Amino acid sequence: MLEIVDLSFHYGSSTILRGIAAHVPKGRILCVAGPNGAGKTTLLRCLTGIARPSGGQILIEGREVLRMTRRELATRVGYVPQHRPSGFPMTVFETVLMGRRPHLTWRPSARDLELTADILRELNLEDLAMRDLDRLSGGQAQKVMLARALAQEPSFLVLDEPTSSLDLCHQLEVMEMVQAVVGAVGMGAVIALHDLNLAARFADEIMLLKDGRVFARGEPSVLIGSENIREVYRVDADVRMGNGRPWVQPLRCVR
Amino acid sequence: MRSEAVSQGYIARNRQKKLLLVFAFLLLAMMAAVGLSVGASAVGPLDVLESLFRDTGRANTIIWQLRMPRIVMAMLVGFGLGVAGTVFQAILKNPLASPFTLGIGSGAGFGAVVVIIFMRGGLYPQLAAASAFVFSLLSAFFILGIAKMKHASSETMILTGIAQMFLFSALSAFFQYMGTMEQVYEVTFWHFGSLSKAGWREIGFTSLMVLIPFPLLVRRAWDFNLLATGDESALALGVDVERLRMWGVIAASLITAGCICFTGVIGFVGLVAPHIVRMTMGSDHCTLIPASGLVGGLLVLAADILANTVWAPQVIPIGIMTSFIGVPFFFYLLMKRTREYW
Amino acid sequence: MIAAYRVSIAAVLLLQPLCIIAPALGASQNEVVDALGRKVEVVTPVRRIVALNSDAVEVLRILNVQDLIVGVFSQIDADPQFWGDLVNRRKVGSWREPNSEVIVELEPDIVLAYAKTPSPEWEARMAARGIRVLRFELYRIDSLEREVRELGRVLDRKEEAERFCSWHDLWLRRIREKVASVVPRPSVYVESYGDYVSAGPTTGGDQMCVDAGGRNISDVMAIPFPRVTPEWVVAQDPDVVVKAAVSNAKYGAAESGAALNRVRDRIMQRPAWNLIKAVSSGRVHVLDSSIWVGPRAIIGLAYMIQWLHPGLMADLSPEALHKEYLETFQKLPYKGVFVSDPVAGSDGKCP
Repeated sequence: MLEIVDLSFHYGSSTILRGIAAHVPKGRILCVAGPNGAGKTTLLRCLTGIARPSGGQILIEGREVLRMTRRELATRVGYVPQHRPSGFPMTVFETVLMGRRPHLTWRPSARDLELTADILRELNLEDLAMRDLDRLSGGQAQKVMLARALAQEPSFLVLDEPTSSLDLCHQLEVMEMVQAVVGAVGMGAVIALHDLNLAARFADEIMLLKDGRVFARGEPSVLIGSENIREVYRVDADVRMGNGRPWVQPLRCVR
Repeated sequence: MRSEAVSQGYIARNRQKKLLLVFAFLLLAMMAAVGLSVGASAVGPLDVLESLFRDTGRANTIIWQLRMPRIVMAMLVGFGLGVAGTVFQAILKNPLASPFTLGIGSGAGFGAVVVIIFMRGGLYPQLAAASAFVFSLLSAFFILGIAKMKHASSETMILTGIAQMFLFSALSAFFQYMGTMEQVYEVTFWHFGSLSKAGWREIGFTSLMVLIPFPLLVRRAWDFNLLATGDESALALGVDVERLRMWGVIAASLITAGCICFTGVIGFVGLVAPHIVRMTMGSDHCTLIPASGLVGGLLVLAADILANTVWAPQVIPIGIMTSFIGVPFFFYLLMKRTREYW
Repeated sequence: MIAAYRVSIAAVLLLQPLCIIAPALGASQNEVVDALGRKVEVVTPVRRIVALNSDAVEVLRILNVQDLIVGVFSQIDADPQFWGDLVNRRKVGSWREPNSEVIVELEPDIVLAYAKTPSPEWEARMAARGIRVLRFELYRIDSLEREVRELGRVLDRKEEAERFCSWHDLWLRRIREKVASVVPRPSVYVESYGDYVSAGPTTGGDQMCVDAGGRNISDVMAIPFPRVTPEWVVAQDPDVVVKAAVSNAKYGAAESGAALNRVRDRIMQRPAWNLIKAVSSGRVHVLDSSIWVGPRAIIGLAYMIQWLHPGLMADLSPEALHKEYLETFQKLPYKGVFVSDPVAGSDGKCP
């Protein structure tokens, strides 16, 4: 269980996050949605230890995250960034192997190699193992980032806009993969998403952020409605049910 | 099992890298042997062999007091600068970084100038070396101090380093302007770089400065790999990025300072050795760090041998020679590479 | 219109002879040949002189025109005992980087500078302001007398110049005569200010070695100040080692001697140098830069003769020579230490 209690984050004199609260049990997906500047990315950075919250608590299975070493946190929370890392060319295998870092002593052991290979196999990436990361398509690269996070053997995955630069097919593929992993291994996941429809489709719970506060939290069918969308996104939208899930058709901006 | 097949590629690549590492080491040993056999006096390779087993008097003295220290220092300094260069490039995330990017070389030069101009440094060479060492560390700590205060990124560190470099250079020039003609000559010769001043005592000190931080850096090789993927990824994967940068700069600066305080500035090696290795062996710091050291040692050793033979009996200063050798080889590799390696 | 032309032509014709005669009226022009072999015209009498380096000031003192010096090199403060109240003159910068503004302000008739530094561009700028720059080395034994005579002539100090030159020439000639037939010529390693930087061909140090009856082992080099390896020096195995050192305190400073001895010891302790004949027989000598190059180079030569051929010129005592120079030409008592002591236990003689 991942618990966020009264989390706040200040940067200089401005308040980015205030009073954030949530809990994500294992095996469940929480999608964090909201307009730009709502604080989604900051929240995720607090969860992964990249940023240090100014107040409040984050508990993973009862343990305070702020009391953990970074390494320990990395064994519990796996971060999937939005873009692949640029810089030195790395093979896919090496990239995923990096996810083992929190468990490494000095060099990768045979077990580390084995685990990496397993993950690559499960995500159908084994043919790309020795390919350079920057030679992959966007969708493939995103899967590799997911694989790297999985290599950390975390209890929770944190994904930052995993689908924003992907085409339709890959968007679905990646989200389905996350869903499968969450279900099979029993991880929890916190996903920041722009796309409300994707969120509606894959989330067990959605948290709507507005101006750094939790505007609303609940199941997609309850939460996603025209009034909420108008309040948070300042957009007039048509919300209908389809295939058991709500889907949103934006109409116009509201002044 | 399928999993084994997947990791086979990685394992095979790793084995290849290890072989190349061994090859580089053997090459270094061979070149050292060549260097030992070459010199202004008539001592040849057979004499060298003989002196290993018994005391051959005059030849023995020449080999053990003159040639051996020169060769050992060349390898040591090249090794240190190669390792330091790799670490700086990783920490600053910049392919143009070298041990001198942060102004450490200028700090050392400044330290030497201060002693030469104001404290009759010509009479006390140990003092000049000590001053060079102290000032290069000071310049490194200054950068670290700024970085810590402002939670600085790599770019900020580089900018501060460049500013510091200009400051030290200007101060150096100003002090030289105040000096006598003789003192200016001395300063100039310090800046050219020279291996002649290295005796066994100096080698002892430098080896401590190089060989103690080295294993500590290799131990952190994977963290440097992660650093290359970006601060955020590294943090999320458990790397304390700020501390890694700080200790990395300290270790690499110690190595650099320990090398150049006796030899003066030997440029280009720390910049180019890591790139040569990356182009041939990839960017995994587990092999990159030691391999850059070996390649650096090879470069300086080759430069020293050529510097002593090409224009005999004149000696071309080592700092000049490393550029003469490093640059064409670097261009050659640049032309031959098939993929972007940075 | 035609009248106007006639007037102009008449005026031009009248003025021509005037232009030819007038410059000679009142002022006289003098010509010197400077160190670069150029003929330079100087307007005499010279009343205000700026000297950019110590060798120039020393020579001006020899010529007894120190009262005409209005500007001196800035580093003069480093040696107040030697220069006396000359340190109170206006400072004009260094031999390399003169302060043009101050120089112009002083309105000197001549500025004395080294042959190659500062640059010709700077000299042109000075000329544009009407300031004449005289390029004289004044530190090489073989050209010193000529340059002193030229200066003496243009400064109307022919007597003083002659007195110095005949003194200098007397001793130089004596030395060269004695040395001309001496055999064998010991091999000498001559080291300049930096470690392992030797004095090669065309340098003053090389010339001094030859004048003293020695063979400079670095005369096979291709550049004036080549860097050599210790191994090469060991291989050459010179009979004598001579080093020029810089000690910041020169004239009158008691601790100079200790400093020079320290330099000597350091050289002798260089790794593997115990294999060199010069070191094992204690024939390692250090001399101060003030008697190595400059008007007192002949003192350095005198010492070198004693080191290379002890006993050859028993009547020549370098200290006495130095004393004579200082008392006669610089009006100063002999004070200070300028060479390292002989190595204890060695008699300085050839093995």
